[in-house]
Amino acid sequence: MSPVPHVLRQLAIDWRLVLMGAVLVVTALVFNVLSGGLFLSPENLYNIAQQTAVVGIVATVVVLVIVARHIDLSVGSVMGFVGVLIATLMYTAGWHWVEASLAGLAVAIGVSLYQGALTAMLGVPSFVVTLGGLMSFRGAAFLVADGKTQPVSDVFFQRLGGGFDGAIGVQASWALAAALVVLFGLKNWLRRRAKASYGVPNPPVWLDALVAAVPALIVVGFVATMNAYQIPTKDAPQGVPIPVLIWGGVAVALSFIVHRTRFGRYVFAIGGNPEAAALVGIPVRRVTLMLFALMGVLITIAAVVSIARLNAGTNSLGTGMELFVIAAAVIGGTALAGGSGSILGSVLGALIMQSIDSGLLLLDISIGLRYVIIGQVLIAAVVFDVVYRRVTGDAA
Amino acid sequence: MSAPLVELRHIRKSFGGVRAVDDVSLSLHPGEVVALLGHNGAGKSTLMKMLAGAYPIDSGEVRVQGQDVHIRSPIDAQRLGIESIYQTLALADNLDAVANLFLGRELLTRWNTLDDHRMDAEARKVFERLNKNFRNVRTPVRRLSGGQRQVVAISRAIYFNARILIMDEPTAALGPEETAMVGRLVRQLKDEGVGIFLITHDMPDVFALSDRLAVMKNGRLVGAYRTADVTEDEVLGMIIAGKQPEGKAQAHSR
Repeated sequence: MSPVPHVLRQLAIDWRLVLMGAVLVVTALVFNVLSGGLFLSPENLYNIAQQTAVVGIVATVVVLVIVARHIDLSVGSVMGFVGVLIATLMYTAGWHWVEASLAGLAVAIGVSLYQGALTAMLGVPSFVVTLGGLMSFRGAAFLVADGKTQPVSDVFFQRLGGGFDGAIGVQASWALAAALVVLFGLKNWLRRRAKASYGVPNPPVWLDALVAAVPALIVVGFVATMNAYQIPTKDAPQGVPIPVLIWGGVAVALSFIVHRTRFGRYVFAIGGNPEAAALVGIPVRRVTLMLFALMGVLITIAAVVSIARLNAGTNSLGTGMELFVIAAAVIGGTALAGGSGSILGSVLGALIMQSIDSGLLLLDISIGLRYVIIGQVLIAAVVFDVVYRRVTGDAA
Repeated sequence: MSAPLVELRHIRKSFGGVRAVDDVSLSLHPGEVVALLGHNGAGKSTLMKMLAGAYPIDSGEVRVQGQDVHIRSPIDAQRLGIESIYQTLALADNLDAVANLFLGRELLTRWNTLDDHRMDAEARKVFERLNKNFRNVRTPVRRLSGGQRQVVAISRAIYFNARILIMDEPTAALGPEETAMVGRLVRQLKDEGVGIFLITHDMPDVFALSDRLAVMKNGRLVGAYRTADVTEDEVLGMIIAGKQPEGKAQAHSR
């Protein structure tokens, strides 16, 4: 075992996540120096947070798909298809955005269940199914509106994508931060009480408090930064952007599913050992189908945020997104062999990807070189994963 | 004589054109250990997997405590009190010992969420019973030793109060101390009235633990005998040549 003191081991801290956080911080600091202080300006951080949301939302569920030993290459195309569909229903058919979004949700779940059924019921590799989907649904995105761009004009809907009025303002942001800090404390206290009631040993109070203080500080720091950004033509600062709020809500919901529900545990069990999962009576097919259905739900959310952000649905929406999403999951510590990964990791992974992309953009580096660098970052992450697992003895 | 705990009657199973299990009948009584012997591919594991609900039965009847039952899934088997310890242990290596113990049968809170703390506390009690030194119940089981992994697999059967236990080569990967632990456990469960099917290649295990033994070859039952009635050579003759020993009475039931 590693020479970590006993008390620290008791905390079950995911050191890999801590390391990812450190990588993000170092990345930001380096770009900040190189860009002469531009990178860490509230405006840039606000934009990065907002731009990462769509990829981040989809990455949370792609983590689970990869954990279950599957892959989804069709996420960008399906998001494009569903996005154009929702925009078309609003613009051309005149539907209310809620109805249009629900219709989009139904279609997305249908598409996901179709791909999921081929994978779960017939055993067709998800790589093949979704590779076909990558092409087919890009085509479908074109067919929906015959390739025409569908503008979105509903003011409330537009706010879901961020932008000029797409943030919740200073007071609501602080209230949110306060609520979260209280929640972190409460969660810790409840856990200590539950452990004590079953006679499971608790770490010392000060250590638990210290560990709870870290996310609390991050939240407060984030809100303070978002509250420091003011669009020059407006008379109040922005606060937390709505797409980031949605992303946060999605990440919390998925974390809950992973840690607190049978479904989440079964996804990991299937990824760890599919034969064992079947032998102990886990309904592997049903869990796989549910996972794909969940995928459909999150793709719809991402599609809504995405078209709201662009104020339009276009047939190229989400092109190439699958690469960024999978990269975010992998950089965030999801093993492509299945069985391990975390939602919080995908959040950090998506932020690292977007930070590097934005940082390079700030430094005025050409798009060609940017792609070269980001591709190699992904490979570096996988190399790190392989080495890390070898060192810690966690064979992938 | 007590009623049989399990009666398998004329069980058949084919994979493609291969008859993996061909017209096998076998019974198991409360507190009895029946060793199931044969070469790899003789059909022992397939027969047991049908009883455990992992494979569907092509034809034949299964009775548990005199009742006709239809076992279609591992869940059906679990409901009948049938627990299995597989040779591969059937553990999810990425999950910890507690999660593995309760895998598929998690304890839930009243809001239908996982009750981790209760599972943790319950699991520690079971592990303690099997191995006093087993403390790292919260690390992924891939980091545990062979013996500790075996403890996790066995604890499933114990925690859920198996009445019928299938052990597929339980000592194959174990050191001497852990093998002795499994032996003690088999005797203890036997005293509690649990019926045990023991698949093994290990002759000392067969003669030390089993009351009866049944030998399979090429999917068919060669014969079933009281362990005390036959010699090791006769058993090997059945396994290798499929030859029934001369002058020994078969014992299809106790």
